[in-house]
Amino acid sequence: MIRKLILTIVSLAFLLAGCAPARTATPAPTQPLPTPSQPLPTPVPTATPISLTDGLKRAVSLPAPAQRIVSLAPSNTEILFAIGGGSQVVGRDSFSDYPAEAKSVADIGGSTGNYNTEAIVALHPDLILAGEINPPELVASLQQLGLTVYFLPNPSGLDGLYANLRTVGLLTGHSAQAAALVSSLQARVAAVDAKVAAAASHPSVYYELDATDPTKPYTAGPGTFVDLLIARAGGTNFGAQLKEQWAQISLEQLVVGNPSIVILGDSAYGVTPASFASRPALDQLAAVKANQVYPFDDNLVSRPGPRLVDGLEALAKLIHPELFK
Amino acid sequence: MLRIEDLTVAYGARRVLHAVSLEVEAGQVVALIGPNGSGKSTLVRAVSGVLPVLGGRVRTNGDDLLSLPPVQRARHLAVVPQAVSLPPAFSVWETVLMGRTPYLNFLGQVSLRDEEIARQALQKVEALELADRRVGELSGGEQQRVLLARALAQSTPILLLDEPTSNLDMHYQISFMETVRALAHQEHLAVLIALHDLNLAARYADRVALLQEGELKACGTPRQVLTAELISSAYHLPVQVVPHPFADTPLVLPEDRSV
Amino acid sequence: MSHRFLPYLWTSLFLLVAIVLSVAIGSVFIPLLSQLRLLADWLMRRPLPDSLQTFASIISAIRLPRTALVLLTGAALGGSGAADQGLFRNPLADPYLIGVASGAGLGAVLAMSLNWPYSFWGLMAVPLAAFCAALATVFVVYSLARLGKTVPTTNLILAGVAFGSFASALTSYLMLRSTGDLHRAIAWMLGGASQAGWSPVLAVLPFLAIGLGILVLSGHSLNLMQYGDDQAQQLGLHVTRARTVILVAASLTTAAAVSFSGIIGFIGLIVPHVMRLWFGADYRRLLPLSILSGAGALLLADVLARTLLAPQELPVGIITALAGAPFFLWVLRRTKNQGYW
Repeated sequence: MIRKLILTIVSLAFLLAGCAPARTATPAPTQPLPTPSQPLPTPVPTATPISLTDGLKRAVSLPAPAQRIVSLAPSNTEILFAIGGGSQVVGRDSFSDYPAEAKSVADIGGSTGNYNTEAIVALHPDLILAGEINPPELVASLQQLGLTVYFLPNPSGLDGLYANLRTVGLLTGHSAQAAALVSSLQARVAAVDAKVAAAASHPSVYYELDATDPTKPYTAGPGTFVDLLIARAGGTNFGAQLKEQWAQISLEQLVVGNPSIVILGDSAYGVTPASFASRPALDQLAAVKANQVYPFDDNLVSRPGPRLVDGLEALAKLIHPELFK
Repeated sequence: MLRIEDLTVAYGARRVLHAVSLEVEAGQVVALIGPNGSGKSTLVRAVSGVLPVLGGRVRTNGDDLLSLPPVQRARHLAVVPQAVSLPPAFSVWETVLMGRTPYLNFLGQVSLRDEEIARQALQKVEALELADRRVGELSGGEQQRVLLARALAQSTPILLLDEPTSNLDMHYQISFMETVRALAHQEHLAVLIALHDLNLAARYADRVALLQEGELKACGTPRQVLTAELISSAYHLPVQVVPHPFADTPLVLPEDRSV
Repeated sequence: MSHRFLPYLWTSLFLLVAIVLSVAIGSVFIPLLSQLRLLADWLMRRPLPDSLQTFASIISAIRLPRTALVLLTGAALGGSGAADQGLFRNPLADPYLIGVASGAGLGAVLAMSLNWPYSFWGLMAVPLAAFCAALATVFVVYSLARLGKTVPTTNLILAGVAFGSFASALTSYLMLRSTGDLHRAIAWMLGGASQAGWSPVLAVLPFLAIGLGILVLSGHSLNLMQYGDDQAQQLGLHVTRARTVILVAASLTTAAAVSFSGIIGFIGLIVPHVMRLWFGADYRRLLPLSILSGAGALLLADVLARTLLAPQELPVGIITALAGAPFFLWVLRRTKNQGYW
């Protein structure tokens, strides 16, 4: 028995040691890790020190705009790419899937709630962009490892979004592009505002977030991006009357409330207008009878990045098709 | 020497022992008899200190046993319970060594002297050859002897036994009782043994105490207590008591209820 | 005489191998030669070469503290699992039997639902809440179970299960109501080292030292308790006092373990059983052996959690469940030991 015990332990040790090389997050384990002295792909920005206070009230300073950035939230990844900093992103979390180029950046974990700090350290980042979906313990752990972390808080409105874009522009040396992006976003929003101002009515819109239990679905309550954008797009959010941000309602409330438009933010989970209409009693809804049940990409309204404006435009087209011919 | 004075025990509102007084001299075997529910086990448990008592005292040569902390009490009194649901994984040797607990530090470290005492205890019950066996592998009779050895290893002047022969077959019943009696006489132990079998009590006890519904109805020699009247009334069954064919003790014979 | 020390030798060796693996293996591959070079440089106090700086910082800043925390957590779970099995004389007992896990989970989820300032104490809020809630649960369960001067084990188990269900239900409700924190709560529940660095290790160490120290010294009392309250008392043990002391020590240990590492199952249940199967039921040995192998087993599970699906890190509680049960069944089937319990 004892001999077998030795054999088991030793073979287990070799097995595990042998497994290791195949699993690595760094792009090429046999190549030496790039050191900061090697030439960098992006145009070298001016080396002015940057000092800011982040969303956790921490003082963050960089000697120069960041060149090796790890993004811990999909919204941050979208922002980075949108302001022209895509080539400076060396690592991203598992959920970052937009734009398509982001998918080829090294994945540093996060889908199970655990981020791979070893992989992050091995990438030699000079800036880590965290978001509200990251637990504060993660920020503390990375800070303890001597890394620079900037926590980008969720914006409370579109102005907050513009501020975040400018901040990331500053951090990455793309202030000009960030400003340009903000201007174009503002213009698009203003265009929507102008058209919506001519709207005769503000139909009630039911935005479904989750219907794992179809008899007790979740909708967006007051204070959420969805609520904000629906109002801006000329609709009335069905969930605005509820108390919580992630609000659960019953089918009965839905039937009584009788929204004019139904937007299925849970389309990614397989909910279709047909499956929605097939739920008990919902075939009487005004929205169903008028065929105004639409699938929707929730990422456009849930990620606090520039695509919120895409979401606004998409919502406006669904709510007021007559104004957006 | 064990002196039980006016011991009263209650389970909630129900009294199960009423002012029981009993004395057991050193070197004497006192058998405690009575029907089920009369309080035999309760008396043994109360005297050993695991049941709270409502009134009365348990003394030995001046010490009030019930007011002592458990470890002190365990140096005066050892109990041999029925051999049921014993932890099967311990060896006989380990089990008997646990009898030395009152003399060990809290880590349970055993000295050579403790081991010698344990060895002697096993020898006295003729179970030394079982020392390395696991308790779970033993027969009922063997387990009971191991528990007796454990109690002997406790080196106490008083021994309490709670119906140790109830689950044993005839051979083991006799050999166990012979061992107990021999030990009591040789080592001057005060032995109080609750017994189910009246005839075992008659043959091996120096004195017999009859409990009925928590009260001590009679206490004396076997001949004095094992009378047809007392036994019939206590056990609600007509009995005849005749002289034993080859021993100098009474023999209790239950009658048919139809007679 | 020397064969008495063999079990300690084997489990210590197992632990040592596990420690080495935990430090040597991670999602970033560090060649064996580099590690040995780093070790040599560190031992001889030579400055480290630049090319190995990253490896050095990964090992010293990430792997070493994590190894220490996982080691302590595994030791705590192994030790308190063995103690609880002895205390309750129940082979199904584990460190969470009297509701400690549910209480800790409730505390953690409550703390996660509030916004704490980003400061040392703010970051300690969740582990602290989990720790206090775990201890509070034991106190409540103990008080509910007490009958006069004694605390019967059956009552403890019943009160623990009842209170535990209550706490779990509340926790589930809170988790349903939360939005972004749901993922964080689930990740915490499934177990794993959430905070990096040495502060969790330092925070947990005093409680574990005291708790495990008491448990290791309680082996003889636990042996006696296997015979039931009556016999244990008749042999000279003050049963209620011993039970209270062991319960407090085991609860302190478990509470400290779950506060930073969440609810990791199976280690506390299975490691003591395997030790019992291989090395016997004497609690004086079972406790230290369970502590050593619990540490080793959790370290191995953590290595797997970090490497199986790299760069993703699985919650270690999933690995212990998936690997623990089959391993135990294999050991059980192979043993010829009748009545090992």
